[in-house]
Amino acid sequence: MIDVENLTKHYGERVAVRAVSFRVEPGEVIGFLGPNGAGKSTTLRMLTGYLTPNDGRIRIGDVDAVADPVAARRAIGYMPESVPLYRDMRVHEYLSYRARLKGVPRSRVSARVDDALGRANVGDVRDRIIGQLSKGYRSRVGLADAMVADPPLLILDEPTAGLDPNQIRQVRELIRSMAGDKTVLLSTHILPEVETTCGRVLIINKGRLVGEGQPGELRRAGGGAQLLSLEARADRERLERAVEAVTGVRAITDAQVMEASGDGADSIVRLRVEADPGDVAERIFAAVAEAGLRLRELRREQASLEEVFTQLTTQDRAESEGVPEADGEPAAPEQQGPESESESDEAPSSDARDGRDGDGEEEPS
Amino acid sequence: MTAVFTIARREIFAFFVSPMAYVVLTAWLLIFGVIFYLLALFLAGQGPGGGQSLIEAFYGGTTLFYLPLLVISPILTMRLMAEERSSGTIEALMTAPVTEVQIVLGKYLAALVYWVALWVPTLFYVWLAGGTGEDVIDEGAIAATYVGIFGIGLFYMAVGLLMSIVARNQIVAAVLTFTVLFGIFVIGLAGYATLDDDLRAVFEYLGLWTQMSSFSKGVVDTRYLVYDVSIAFLALFLSVRLLQAERWQS
Repeated sequence: MIDVENLTKHYGERVAVRAVSFRVEPGEVIGFLGPNGAGKSTTLRMLTGYLTPNDGRIRIGDVDAVADPVAARRAIGYMPESVPLYRDMRVHEYLSYRARLKGVPRSRVSARVDDALGRANVGDVRDRIIGQLSKGYRSRVGLADAMVADPPLLILDEPTAGLDPNQIRQVRELIRSMAGDKTVLLSTHILPEVETTCGRVLIINKGRLVGEGQPGELRRAGGGAQLLSLEARADRERLERAVEAVTGVRAITDAQVMEASGDGADSIVRLRVEADPGDVAERIFAAVAEAGLRLRELRREQASLEEVFTQLTTQDRAESEGVPEADGEPAAPEQQGPESESESDEAPSSDARDGRDGDGEEEPS
Repeated sequence: MTAVFTIARREIFAFFVSPMAYVVLTAWLLIFGVIFYLLALFLAGQGPGGGQSLIEAFYGGTTLFYLPLLVISPILTMRLMAEERSSGTIEALMTAPVTEVQIVLGKYLAALVYWVALWVPTLFYVWLAGGTGEDVIDEGAIAATYVGIFGIGLFYMAVGLLMSIVARNQIVAAVLTFTVLFGIFVIGLAGYATLDDDLRAVFEYLGLWTQMSSFSKGVVDTRYLVYDVSIAFLALFLSVRLLQAERWQS
């Protein structure tokens, strides 16, 4: 459905997207993952024809999107990141306008509008003025807009931004339900979002594709470590000694005394532990109990994006080529000179962290 | 063609739900009313057979006719594209399956509708002039007058649309439009700097000064229409080009 080759975009001197190539098969739901400023939106804007690439080839279905942009755009329902809407219109007026603009025949406009309103779950505000809606509603009106002409391909730029947890779940369910029927390309910087909705992931950083594969594979490619979080009523040092002694524990990355007590033995302590994959949690449970400490909580945390991300962007090139690629080609790094190579190898982790810290915690699911 | 009408319809809707439309229309009719009143008073003082008819004096006899238009035209056109850009809706518009030509024509059509909306109420003055004077209204001259006015509209609205694409915000768009229209108007003034009658005629032609005096006499002079349409075409062509160039850089 999408076939992109060697896509490149400059903003003046700055290269926003460099030599990105990928394919998306019909019916796939694919996630486009990367920190802010990685080139996600720029890439999506080129796919939707808003921006013309400086170099490269885009095919949408059977259409060359650079040579025949109008025909390509007809196949796409696009929800831009900022969800731009005419604030002075009522929801159904806006959707009717968009449907007509996208060439829906007059006789089908009202049926299409009703369908899109229903799917995006905004039927209850159809007569409201868009400018008066909350952000959550507005972004779902944007989603309805993307679906209103019933295009085979949906390109959604951060579709769950600004939604509350319930709405996020609904939108993810909606996207999952479209798999097979429609092709969906969505961008996000939230790893769990990708895991729950997408069959495949493209990871982009500094304008380059650095990884591609199924979410599970990517997490394994991210180093295979698991993160455990535990809380116990115990003396902090005794707890740390007990946990460190467990085979498979690599390091205690964080220790916090949540509630201090007089002699320390009754403090509530919380630890974050990095461990090998496998049954380490069971062994920690046994070890803590054996030491006579009272375990209050023990759970496995998923590797967060920043960790997978740091791994993928700092690995040697040889290793990153081991990440599965749809068409067996690496993400075309050959054209990069050694200079740009090292530049993008060193910098990203700090960038990624800075941008990521808050987002990971907000993520509600 | 459907896309052009869809875009124009949306634009006209936006204009007439905003208070701006009514403020502008009211101000315009007020100004026009005052000028009409003063001219009628002046001509009445001259007595019958004073030379010019009221209609001729009103629409073509004075450059006063243009001054309010120089201010009002930029206000009509300033939001056309600048608003899309500042609110970000330009991204939704330009990723819809429509061409830049369709977008520009749709916006232009909407602007022409505003222009017509500005002038339709002025037909009331024409009716008024016919009711009071002894001279019978010359329908041909009236029709020609409004053809001339429409010609100016083609010109002014196209320039305004172009400036609304050039500028990043509405106020800048309005100021630019005013500057360009005023600049063109001032070319007519250059006629006074020369003693050569032919050269002066050229300046007045370029500055649009003589367009209305010709049309209000009932003479449809196609030279003026050719000028109006040429400028409009040039401005629309540049508008399309600018929109296309936009895709190279956000």
